[in-house]
Amino acid sequence: MTLLSWKRAARESVPQTEGFGDLALPFLPGLYNVATWLARNPVDAEDLVQETMLKALRGFASFEAGTNFKAWIFRILRNTYLTSRTGLAAKRTVALEDELGENESGGAVYPEAAIDRETPEMNLIRLSDRAAVQSAMETLPPPLLEVILLCDVEEMKYKEIASVLEIPIGTVMSRVARARAALRLALVGGATRESRA
Amino acid sequence: MNGHLTSAMLSALADGELSMPELAQANEHLSGCSVCTANALNLSLLKSATAKAGHRFALPADLQERVMRPAGERKATSGRSTGWFGMVGWAAAAVLLLAFATTMLVQRSGRRADIASVEEGALVTEVFDQHVAALAGSLPPQVLSTDRHTVKPWFQGKIPFSFNLPEGLPKDVTLEGANLTYLNDQPVAQLLYSIGRHRVSVFMREKPPAAAVRSFEADHAGFHVMVFSSGDLEMAAVSDVDPARLAELVNLIRKAQTGDATPRTGS
Repeated sequence: MTLLSWKRAARESVPQTEGFGDLALPFLPGLYNVATWLARNPVDAEDLVQETMLKALRGFASFEAGTNFKAWIFRILRNTYLTSRTGLAAKRTVALEDELGENESGGAVYPEAAIDRETPEMNLIRLSDRAAVQSAMETLPPPLLEVILLCDVEEMKYKEIASVLEIPIGTVMSRVARARAALRLALVGGATRESRA
Repeated sequence: MNGHLTSAMLSALADGELSMPELAQANEHLSGCSVCTANALNLSLLKSATAKAGHRFALPADLQERVMRPAGERKATSGRSTGWFGMVGWAAAAVLLLAFATTMLVQRSGRRADIASVEEGALVTEVFDQHVAALAGSLPPQVLSTDRHTVKPWFQGKIPFSFNLPEGLPKDVTLEGANLTYLNDQPVAQLLYSIGRHRVSVFMREKPPAAAVRSFEADHAGFHVMVFSSGDLEMAAVSDVDPARLAELVNLIRKAQTGDATPRTGS
């Protein structure tokens, strides 16, 4: 049956949302968790998640079935964060890529001496409470925090992280390494401060 | 390979992101370098700690409803019509509502199963990490003794529960010692046994009051993990020994807790 052009246009303008809820719902807790880490307050995080879901719903027709929905929706969250008030503020205050000493080759960026060779750190990690690790994570600049959240908390592969952050895999690799080196320094620093107090 | 593994290489190793040739190269280096081995272990422990600490913010109860509302409204708007078609629409909506309610029920039970499987997976990973760390560490156990009357009393005042150790172990099974360690921020007794040349860790902890009784087995990176409960205790045994031999030791430990072998108090 041939449709009149205005009817065809009207039908095409209806966004395809079938199946969106089934795909998106399982990721909602993870999206909210990452959003709260990045936004650093629950109210902004809720706004961020709502806006992300709205954008994802609007753009759902452009999502290719069978591709990685998780990477797709986390990319939307990340881009929404970057244009949010907190994201823009973080951009202004956080060191830029070059200043972070990005090393595409994946070599050691932190001096080797910065990596503790002794076992106390291992014991510290094993014995420290969750709050100590969370405090260390809070000290990370957003580019390092987001990569560690996607890698360790969301258990994404480097390829998926590269797709979310829209950066090369080599950069993901070096950024994860730098994030962990920074976390180790923060944990050791925190333990040293506590022992001095 | 000259020098040590780079921090990026070590991180990628912890993340399971090395290619086969890179992994072979890294393993070859690790077999002869205690510094890089210690660093690799540190990074694995850090990854595990970050994964746990990162799950920090729980989704507010009403946020799911609020964020999914636009999808529902959009569906309703696109299906709106009048007259007979409207009646058909309402009927379809009723069917959809029923289907949605059924789906929610199925999803809820599925979600519970998912949570249980995530918790079980986390426990397996954690006991595996602790066991490998104990194997790789150059330090002896915190209490080094083959005598159960020495090992058990050592934990007095260190852990908020007591346990029994089995006597009459098979010929090639030896108690090597024990460590006080932590699983999920809870103090845990890590008992170290050997079966022939294979090392075994048995972790004992107090079962949280509301926790379900769990009993399951899993394989992780060539190691076999058996989780079991007895009374108020939850235990996890991990080793690369034949699972049947591990089960034999697990049964002895389980029986010891029921009081068949030794009294619960005293050593």
